[in-house]
Amino acid sequence: MRKLIAPLLTLLLVLGLGAGIYVSVNEQLAKQSTVKVRGLIGSEKEDFFRDPRVIEALAKQGLAVEVEKAGSRQIATQFKLKDYDFAFPSGAPAAEKIKREANVNKAYEVFFTPMAVASWKLIAGILEANGIVSQRDGVYYIIDLTRLLQFVTAEKRWSDLSKNGGYNVKKSLLVGTTDVRQSNSAAMYLSLASYILNNNNIVDSAAQIGPIIQPLESLFLRQGFVENSSAAPFKDYLVMGPGKAPLVMIYEAQYLEEASRANSGVSDAMALLYPEPTIFTKHILVPFNDKGDRLGAALADDPELQKLAIEHGFRNHDAAGFRDFVKSHNLAVPDTLVNVVEPPTFEMLEQMIVMIEQRYKGN
Amino acid sequence: MNTPLRFILFIFAALMLSGCDGQKNANESLTVLAGSELKDMEPLLGDIENKTGIKLQMTYSGTLDGAEKLIAGEPTDLAWFSHGKYISLVQGDRNRILAQEKTMLSPVLLGVKESAAKAWGWSDNPNLTWRDIAAKADSGELRYAMADPASSNSGFTALVGVATALSGSSDALSIKDIDQAQLSGFFKGQQLSAGSSGWLTDAFVKEQARLNGIINYESVLMALNRDKRLDEQLVLIYPKEGIITADYPLMLINGEKREAYNKLVAYLTSPEFQQKMMEQTLRRPVIPQVKLSEDFASPLLVELAFPNDLAAIDKLLFAYEDKHRRSSHAYFVLDVSGSMAGARMQSLQTALKNLTGQDQTLSGRFSRFRSRETLTFIPFDNQVYPAKTFTINDPGSQSADMQAVRQYADSLQPLGSTGIYQALQAAYRMALEARHKDPDRFYSIVLMTDGENNAGLSEDGFAQFIAALAPQDRGIKTFTILFGDASQEGMKQLAEITEGRLFDGRESLNQAFKTIRGYQ
Repeated sequence: MRKLIAPLLTLLLVLGLGAGIYVSVNEQLAKQSTVKVRGLIGSEKEDFFRDPRVIEALAKQGLAVEVEKAGSRQIATQFKLKDYDFAFPSGAPAAEKIKREANVNKAYEVFFTPMAVASWKLIAGILEANGIVSQRDGVYYIIDLTRLLQFVTAEKRWSDLSKNGGYNVKKSLLVGTTDVRQSNSAAMYLSLASYILNNNNIVDSAAQIGPIIQPLESLFLRQGFVENSSAAPFKDYLVMGPGKAPLVMIYEAQYLEEASRANSGVSDAMALLYPEPTIFTKHILVPFNDKGDRLGAALADDPELQKLAIEHGFRNHDAAGFRDFVKSHNLAVPDTLVNVVEPPTFEMLEQMIVMIEQRYKGN
Repeated sequence: MNTPLRFILFIFAALMLSGCDGQKNANESLTVLAGSELKDMEPLLGDIENKTGIKLQMTYSGTLDGAEKLIAGEPTDLAWFSHGKYISLVQGDRNRILAQEKTMLSPVLLGVKESAAKAWGWSDNPNLTWRDIAAKADSGELRYAMADPASSNSGFTALVGVATALSGSSDALSIKDIDQAQLSGFFKGQQLSAGSSGWLTDAFVKEQARLNGIINYESVLMALNRDKRLDEQLVLIYPKEGIITADYPLMLINGEKREAYNKLVAYLTSPEFQQKMMEQTLRRPVIPQVKLSEDFASPLLVELAFPNDLAAIDKLLFAYEDKHRRSSHAYFVLDVSGSMAGARMQSLQTALKNLTGQDQTLSGRFSRFRSRETLTFIPFDNQVYPAKTFTINDPGSQSADMQAVRQYADSLQPLGSTGIYQALQAAYRMALEARHKDPDRFYSIVLMTDGENNAGLSEDGFAQFIAALAPQDRGIKTFTILFGDASQEGMKQLAEITEGRLFDGRESLNQAFKTIRGYQ
């Protein structure tokens, strides 16, 4: 018996060792071809990078991505950029700020999304009765941003509106945003509001800022404490109801991503409103080295990753793909937005934000 | 067994062991600086460790104290408070918080006894405002418990909320909007204060007969009802202007622990944990996938704006301490026996002088003696020395009032043996007499001793004295400070028979005196 056991065990040992070596060599090979890439992103893209399908598609390209989220404007001011391989903020102005800070010229425009306002049907109804919101094509809501800003700058409260049953509260009529000093989505709202207050012209000189800066400041200061990055107010919207903020400035992609999810937090009582005019936020990847560069190229060019971006609510050059996505999830979304304005130049926007920052400091 | 077989078996065993080793989930331990209101999470920490492999080592702290520790760079991996807004404001550009994620929700509310709520028409009344509540407090009908805003997050949140609502402005509070008259009315009703919301809750249960309301987290108020700790159920009030909700952000402080932090956040915000957390702690979930259970009231929860202005918050805290809250009369029964000589006496003198405005730390600034406050010092050794009383009219650190207290502290001389209880009894007699004359103040006694009683009245004799007090003469608490060679058990019992609390001053006498300020 013993005579049999010894050779048998030897055989098993050899097989076992062989298998072990095979597995470990394979792992080594896989590890060698996969590059770890570490970067800073706007929080609204966190779910995209955590999606197993995205992780797999990136792995096929030999990329393993590790992300930390931050306010898109915060990235340029509060982080040591050389510790990272890339930054992927929201908004061209934030990307520009990072490019200057890190002294790089290259950038990838990966996808885009219009600014939208997360709200409730109840609230949309009240605003409709006050001539601020209208339904278009019977499917989606448009906010007349010029009229809304008239109410906001006149410091109206919800209790001042007519037919406000269900929301007769003392709160000021304000659009909830992130911190304009830290985050792009608030800066986009500032871009839109400055366009309207500047008589429907993009602010292009310092002289134009003076007369409108006070009402612009108050859009943010009156809100009190706000969050640094756009995921937080949207999460509050999903769980805290209209009592927290009845109107929340978000990226369209955030809402569409949540609404298309299985077990979605978007309920029948909720509604997505489109400001008119609106503004597009470009999501731009700024690489700091070759690794970041590889990721930028993969995200911008790989058809699978571009398709997955649509699944997360973003728009890109594949308009038909976006249409299919919207249709398959029964979402009420305008196919094309016509009244879209450009943000002011980087310098002009910076100047407005710095002035608001001074006011936060009490100057 | 022959040698080759033994060898092969050995190799096998070694391979198996190494295989196991590779799979074993290395447990990690993270330190957490946490608000004391998170103590009720302890039963869930085991579950968190099982699911994530991460052990959380909690160290508890108060509002300003915790903020101050974080800003000062105290080493901790994580921080977990009922809200992070104040800390975010105070940190300025220091960027101590590397990431934060909300983990649960609970608004700070007023709970009112059912009979009172019915009598005042407050049950299910959607039009009830904070102004109505302030009027009832001003008239003396509403008598509530609320924690001290400088020490406790529930008190802090309540103060900010009430001041915002009463300002009449619908925006974030600014200095010019603070309505001092309305606030004074509102805080007339505050008849019990404490340095922590947990202790406040227990004290409210003990003193429920004389009070009819309590301000605390919705979760705490619901737990009081669920656990049937009160003779009468509480009605939770959601005033029309709104409330402020605590959102318990888990904050990453040590960047090297980011991976573990991400793992924790993923589990804490999972439906599995959120469901468990809601059922056990009665806080609201932060993800829409977990539906609010029917135990929760579901009116429109209007959220008040939280101020972004540190100067406004500072001013509000000082106005509360110096103007709005009931003024207090604090008795300090201080051991000046021979054993206090040297370093001990010095720490006592420093601790007292720090309360005159010399401690300029965040928590020090708000624990100083307040305007309108009366202080009586009763030094003792084997005899009780004449009491010395000061009234603070000007709380500036260089004022004559504060200087007088400092001079007095410096004049204390150690001598003789230790007669604790006769001194304490003398303090009670003085405090009772003062309360008869002026009942609308907070009365409390602090006892600091470094040794055992070896002169005068015995412990039993003092217990008999307390037990024999007439019902209307009860309720003056003694806060005992453990110091030097004092008996922990004895000081604890002494705190218990007077419904006070024991504080450990052995590590820092200064910190103990500061912490007690929240209860005075």
